[in-house]
Amino acid sequence: MKKILTTGLIAGCILFILSYGGLFLGVRFFPGLFVAYDNPLFNSNGSRDVLFYMHAFIISFALSWFWDRFKGLFHGTFVMRGLEFGLVYSIIALLPVMWISFSSLDITVVMVFSWFLYGLAQAVVAGLIFAKINP
Amino acid sequence: MHYKNILCLVLVLFSGTGFSTNYIDKKLSLKKWVVNENSSLSVNGSTNINKFSCVIPAYGRIDTITLHKSDDEKGIVLSGSIALSVSSFDCHNSGMTRQLQKTLNEKQFPLLHIRFLSLNRLPAITAKPQSITGAVDIEIAGVSKHFEINYQISQDGENGIDLLGSRQLNFSDFNLIPPTKLGGMIKTRDQLMVAFHLKIKAAG
Repeated sequence: MKKILTTGLIAGCILFILSYGGLFLGVRFFPGLFVAYDNPLFNSNGSRDVLFYMHAFIISFALSWFWDRFKGLFHGTFVMRGLEFGLVYSIIALLPVMWISFSSLDITVVMVFSWFLYGLAQAVVAGLIFAKINP
Repeated sequence: MHYKNILCLVLVLFSGTGFSTNYIDKKLSLKKWVVNENSSLSVNGSTNINKFSCVIPAYGRIDTITLHKSDDEKGIVLSGSIALSVSSFDCHNSGMTRQLQKTLNEKQFPLLHIRFLSLNRLPAITAKPQSITGAVDIEIAGVSKHFEINYQISQDGENGIDLLGSRQLNFSDFNLIPPTKLGGMIKTRDQLMVAFHLKIKAAG
């Protein structure tokens, strides 16, 4: 349990920097991709900003548990294990969620696709970290 | 008999000073302006990633503004207002339109009011636009604020009057919070440029 929490915390800190740093750079250099977020579908009064920034830690702790439970199924170098882990998470968890989100919410294909890639990148990075520090 | 004499004296004095006629003249309306249903209003603002322009393309109703000379005879006192429906805004993007309506608290305050208070002068209206200033009260989301407005007034092709007013406002002037998204990474700026184009016919 301690190992799960420790690796989750480390992955959370790294994902926090990469995720929000990447998002900041995305907004800065590709503003056109974010115009569709000016929509009441997305929280606009800042009341959930803390929850938004906690996401990196929530996904890291969840993936850390998942890794610890199933790491024996991933073989090869730490890079391969990390990549496969990220892909498994994306196919099992992200794809169905993106599917239902697009089918039920007034959001664009580009938006859903970017969320999928964002989640995939997060899971691969987390997988690489777990494969390295909790093999 | 004594009282009748006093009453007559008072009446003669008042009529002699012209008090009653002057008083009525000042309060008589100079003109009436009928605000046409094709009048429009636009709101231009920006976020840190784009600019937006929202319009109410047509007022959709007819209202009257009455003009009087002010007591000092230098300016013009106006009375009348227009009420615009917040749901009529069109930002050329359905998401942005809904966001503006939500930010302006449309469900609770469906109307935006502009109350016309004064003009600094009333020039001869010609095809060449002339600059004048005036005061209005603008009420958004239940909060009313007093503003000085710069106008351009001119005659349109059909002997009507075009009155273009513009003014920079802030969301915060009306206790409104400009929306932010994605944990504050997308921020709407507080400043808005509001412009209205009244198409007017002089009446009376």
